[in-house]
Amino acid sequence: MTRALPLVELGGLLVVALLCLVFHLRLPGRLPQEADYRAAAQRLQAEARPGDAVLLFPWWTERARLFVPPAIPVYGYLGSDKDDLSAHPRVWVLGQPELPRSDEAGFLETFLPGRRAVGEVSRHGPLTLTLYENGRHRPRRFTATEAYARARVYLEQPDGTRRDCPFDGRAHRCPGPAHLYVAPEWHEILYEPRRCLWMHAPGGKQRLVAELDGVHGGLGLRLEGGIIFEHAFPKDARLSTTHLGVDDAATGAQLLSLAIPPGLEGVQKAETRLPGGAPHTVRVWVQADNADRRQVCLDVLAVEPEVGVRG
Amino acid sequence: MMRGRAPTRDEKRLAWALWVLAFAALWLTESAVGYTRDESVYFIAGESYASWFRQLFQSPARALTDAAIVRAWDYNHEHPVLMKTLFGLSHLLFHTELGWLRSATAFRLPAFAMAALIPALTFLLGSAMYGRAAGLFAAFAFMLVPRQYFNAELACFDVPVAAMWLLVVYCFWRALEDVRWGLWCGVAFGLTLAAKHNALFLPFVLTPFALWRAWSASAGQPEARAWLGRFVGVFAAVAVLYGLLVLSLGGGAGFQRKFLLLSPHTLLFAGLAVGGAWVLRGVDKVNAPVTRALAPIAAMAVLGPVIFYLHWPYLWHQPVDRTAWYLAFHAKHNHYAWFYLNQLLREPPFPLAYVVVKTALTVPTSLFVPMVTGLAALVARMVLGAFERTRAWVERPVTLTEAIVGVNAVASILIISHPQVPHFGGVKHWFPSMVFLGILAGAAVARGCTALWERLKASWPSLPQAAVAAPVFAVLLAPALVSSVRVFPYGTAAYSELAGGLPGAATLGMQRQFWSSHVTGVLPWINANAKQGARLYLHEVHGGSFRDYQRNGMLRPDLRAAGSPADADIVAYQYHQEFREHEFLTWQAFGTRTPVTGLYLDETPQVVVYVRPETR
Repeated sequence: MTRALPLVELGGLLVVALLCLVFHLRLPGRLPQEADYRAAAQRLQAEARPGDAVLLFPWWTERARLFVPPAIPVYGYLGSDKDDLSAHPRVWVLGQPELPRSDEAGFLETFLPGRRAVGEVSRHGPLTLTLYENGRHRPRRFTATEAYARARVYLEQPDGTRRDCPFDGRAHRCPGPAHLYVAPEWHEILYEPRRCLWMHAPGGKQRLVAELDGVHGGLGLRLEGGIIFEHAFPKDARLSTTHLGVDDAATGAQLLSLAIPPGLEGVQKAETRLPGGAPHTVRVWVQADNADRRQVCLDVLAVEPEVGVRG
Repeated sequence: MMRGRAPTRDEKRLAWALWVLAFAALWLTESAVGYTRDESVYFIAGESYASWFRQLFQSPARALTDAAIVRAWDYNHEHPVLMKTLFGLSHLLFHTELGWLRSATAFRLPAFAMAALIPALTFLLGSAMYGRAAGLFAAFAFMLVPRQYFNAELACFDVPVAAMWLLVVYCFWRALEDVRWGLWCGVAFGLTLAAKHNALFLPFVLTPFALWRAWSASAGQPEARAWLGRFVGVFAAVAVLYGLLVLSLGGGAGFQRKFLLLSPHTLLFAGLAVGGAWVLRGVDKVNAPVTRALAPIAAMAVLGPVIFYLHWPYLWHQPVDRTAWYLAFHAKHNHYAWFYLNQLLREPPFPLAYVVVKTALTVPTSLFVPMVTGLAALVARMVLGAFERTRAWVERPVTLTEAIVGVNAVASILIISHPQVPHFGGVKHWFPSMVFLGILAGAAVARGCTALWERLKASWPSLPQAAVAAPVFAVLLAPALVSSVRVFPYGTAAYSELAGGLPGAATLGMQRQFWSSHVTGVLPWINANAKQGARLYLHEVHGGSFRDYQRNGMLRPDLRAAGSPADADIVAYQYHQEFREHEFLTWQAFGTRTPVTGLYLDETPQVVVYVRPETR
């Protein structure tokens, strides 16, 4: 028995090596060529509608960005499988199910609820392109990042005194440090790229406030925001909780609020139903006692309910 | 093989051949390898140190002042300088003076020489332990791991310190048979300390074996046992006295403050040297094997600190404070963010299994599996041999040499596995283990080849063993070679078949690259397409590397370095999970989310290039 062991061991090693060689021989055939991407992009160019989005599977296959028509937003970040992509009524999934360790079933389990494939899957080499109706779509009637230029922005002390942050055509710039301004920007919140309103907490008890008109009533009012980049991670006791809120400017009532303590990563969300009637004016604000590492990026949306899938 | 033995003439020739082969391969392929962040720092350091040697030659009195030393040697004093000095002197000779080599190659040449020691010494040790086939497989097993080959190309310390670690163990092993190698062991240890701080762990790894050997060799000889006791006593006494000194001086700070040339501190060190020598002379008269076992330890204890001090001019005027700073720097090293199984590791405690998992996912599987079976077989023999009932199952007991190799195969892995130890840097911090795991892999493959050969010999009596070993080697090494060629020169992106290659690793959520050297994949595009004088933001690329790419003709000289996407016309973003913000800042600055080109290895984004639309 012990004499046979080395032979068994060698046999096992050779089998492993041969499997490795098979892996290397097969790998190039599982990778798309540039022509495959171009063919997929052509279909997108021809069939995509305004408002459509492309979702990458696996999430990291970002080479597609080189080829997808620039007008179509491409989503692919760690966690994007779970993204509702609620801004988009239709989603194109650009997949590479043949890549090693691609788990298409796992992806679909996360992605499919509330969605329905429309038409056939097209194959371009190892690429697959499938159009889905996005039942998680929530039509947007208001977004702060689009309405920001009309906002009134100021720093507000606890006693109500205000210092204006005048609009310079790009941003509302406040007196004080250069980072105190309000403007839409691209930032990362726990790997997710978000175009959101940069509203760095000013520090102390004062608030940075953006007053926005024309928010439709009778809809869901959402506040979504977080601390960008690596700044959310530290749990240092010297850092303080960041408070975000949305108040009704007319009544002063608090409509939404979020508290982001040090160490809490990711986009935080809150939603309420805004009473119907005339459009509302809301006050969006940010406050943190210690402004260090409290780089907030947020958005306020007025959204309809999920459209659901037809049929 | 119980103890060390000198190589045969054939073994020496083969070892030299392996050294030449590795050196030549590294030299011939290095020009494609980008400059890692650390490497450009060491280039600068090397030049600075070499300039001091020029000054020493021209104006020795001035060069030896602390001011002149600090001016030249202060840069990057967080690492000892053996390798950086060699890099600098090689650059001075082969590039500056003779003009034979381009700048980067001249810096890297000593690293190749040091790395090439690994296959040569691995072969010698493996061949002595398990036969020539095992030694040869071990030699190739190290160089054909893509990440190890990549690191061997760099003017850095991780492969050199693995080579030096192996050299110390080799000297230690040879000393068990020839006492002169004990002295060489001390010298090698000193040079290893001068290469990188990993060496600080070596005495803890080797001393138990020296004591074990001395204990077993002195069995039945009370006088030899007594001398062994005195040897341990001298070291223990010095350790206790140092401890008391620390306490009496009010702790580490007081100990450091009072550490002068003439102080109890140095007196204790002198006592250790004299006491150690006295014991070795004494024991040599009654039992030579005990002397041979203990000599390397004494030599390491005495020569290690002396060589460390002498090799580093920065320490000459202020040895204590500057050594203390150096040690403290590494004891409290920063933790860099590191992506592992979809988690961004930013601070300890780190996952205990990290090192083992990372090794399994990066070493070509056809090499990793024999490493595992080789180690498992050794452990099994050790365990089974320890019990009366199972001893008969073991064909031969584990030798001291095998135990040394086995412990060295896991030592660095265990040290880095500690959850408080920094976990950045891919696999490079446990390269010393990989050398010995390669020997165990060689043992596993060789015993299989021998068994197969013996079986086949029944039918073909004249069949040479090489006729079996050669095809087996070819099959086992081929996937590693394919993998190495496929990923070269982007070594920090290498993942094994077990991981599913680089695409599989990306889905598993592993760090795809680090150290910035993959930017070479987009430099040709930038050179061809950038406008004259364009401002270029090479994300993560060290300022020194930017200069080095231009200096070595890899980047157009008219291009200017920019500090951020906002200041740039072109951005080459390095895809790191912890740096996603930098890519989105580029979207913000350029007003586009569409890159123009990039380096995509097996589909994984490595470097993504954006061009400011108005400058296209």
